[in-house]
Amino acid sequence: MFPERPARNWPLIIATAGFLAAMTWWSANGIGFSLIELLCNITGGGRLISESWPPDFSFLPRLADPFLETLNIAVIGTVIGGILSVPVAVLAARNLTLGRVVWFTDRNFMNVLRTLPDLFWAMLFATAVGFGPVAGALALSVFTIAVISKLWSESLESIDMGLPEAVRAVGGTWLQMLRFGAVPQAMQTYVSYALYAFELNVRASMVLGLVGAGGIGMILETQRANFEYERVALIVLVVLVAVLIIEEISEAIRSRLA
Amino acid sequence: MTEQRGRIRFSRAGVTYPNGTVGMKNLDLEIEPGEFIVIVGSSGAGKSTLLRAVNGLNPLTSGAVEIDGRAVPQREGRQLRELRKRIGMIFQDFRLVKRESVLTNVLIGRLAHVPGWRAMLKLWPQRDRDLAVKALERVGIPEKAWVRASSLSGGQQQRVGIARALAQEPAIILADEPVASLDPVTTHQIMRDLVRINRELGITTLVNLHFLDLARQYGRRIIGLRDGELVYDGSAKTVTDGDFREIYGRDFTEDDLLEEKE
Repeated sequence: MFPERPARNWPLIIATAGFLAAMTWWSANGIGFSLIELLCNITGGGRLISESWPPDFSFLPRLADPFLETLNIAVIGTVIGGILSVPVAVLAARNLTLGRVVWFTDRNFMNVLRTLPDLFWAMLFATAVGFGPVAGALALSVFTIAVISKLWSESLESIDMGLPEAVRAVGGTWLQMLRFGAVPQAMQTYVSYALYAFELNVRASMVLGLVGAGGIGMILETQRANFEYERVALIVLVVLVAVLIIEEISEAIRSRLA
Repeated sequence: MTEQRGRIRFSRAGVTYPNGTVGMKNLDLEIEPGEFIVIVGSSGAGKSTLLRAVNGLNPLTSGAVEIDGRAVPQREGRQLRELRKRIGMIFQDFRLVKRESVLTNVLIGRLAHVPGWRAMLKLWPQRDRDLAVKALERVGIPEKAWVRASSLSGGQQQRVGIARALAQEPAIILADEPVASLDPVTTHQIMRDLVRINRELGITTLVNLHFLDLARQYGRRIIGLRDGELVYDGSAKTVTDGDFREIYGRDFTEDDLLEEKE
């Protein structure tokens, strides 16, 4: 006989839905968010868009150098951050770490990196090495460590521990266990996350330009300050295309790795 | 190979897991160099616990295990690695690096024998490469050296597992349910390989099996475990159905046999 469907927990469902609705209402009130006002004023946004159209393509040649600088910043940030994130991620993975104290310290280190925004790191490094692309690259390195180590340590925690144990059983050391037992199982996800971090870094280097960290973001900021919206539109377009291209390439690399 | 011996001695050894399960109770057992031993028992009887105590993967909670007169260290460290160097292990699920070549997988058996930095960079010394090739020849698949481990059949993967153990130039081989994920034909090939290697090289071999007919056919000495205790220790030639009933604590059925009974 097919069993009767178990009774649903109606009080819990109603309470959850009520809680979410109350939270939304409270937050909307808090920031003065109102759909009606939004609809009345939507034309204001339209004005900005019409002013930025069409993009000023004659400005394109002057974007080449800053754009290459942005790519350079993103590459350096991804490489430095990508390398340093390996030990950070390994020590934060419960199944591979070297004892509770190391694990706990590393976890908190990661949390600090993640909590502080990239703009903060850019300011910090700018005061250390001066405003410019080097400060930007260093800020992105920290940002990359934060991104990759968080994601990858979780992948490392989900690997099959049979192989690492087999490496232990032949008399392998901790490092050899990582090299031959753990990392090969999570290599693909590492490459994925590194490519993802590179993508984020290209985008983030726009924001960093705002604080003088060089690259295309700096041009964006000067054009915006001069109300050259048609040029701003072009810059946004260029970055959009660049990010889409990078995503295509990394998708191709990832599918080949599988 | 002058140092090869492989005598194992358990004295009053016991393992109690953190959750209270008893994996081994007061075990006294002596295994001579070069013996071929099959360990039987129902699941949870402590077969794996026994094997894994030999190379320290499962620490004892009481008593001691000695190999060639040296106590097995009960914590990770240089001494334990030094001991594991000479103990090969073969697993039910093969445990190969799937994305790497067969040869690299076999060379993992040399990890404890080569300088650390060379292994990290996969700059294996020629002598170790030769040993790996020889190990592959001994299990009959040298032509697979450059093939990715993941593209091999189950039986071939287990042969790579055996070759990895052989590459260690071991005194002891521990095989934990080596045929449990293989079909009957491959099962017999792998069991014959293990017996042949034991005869040719005189490596002490301990094999966990749960099929009684396999134990009878390939074992020379059979050890029966039940609830972590040694309940049978004798020749495979003289073991009776009554002994198996005693080991399993029940009548055994067709499920306990690999081949169907006529």
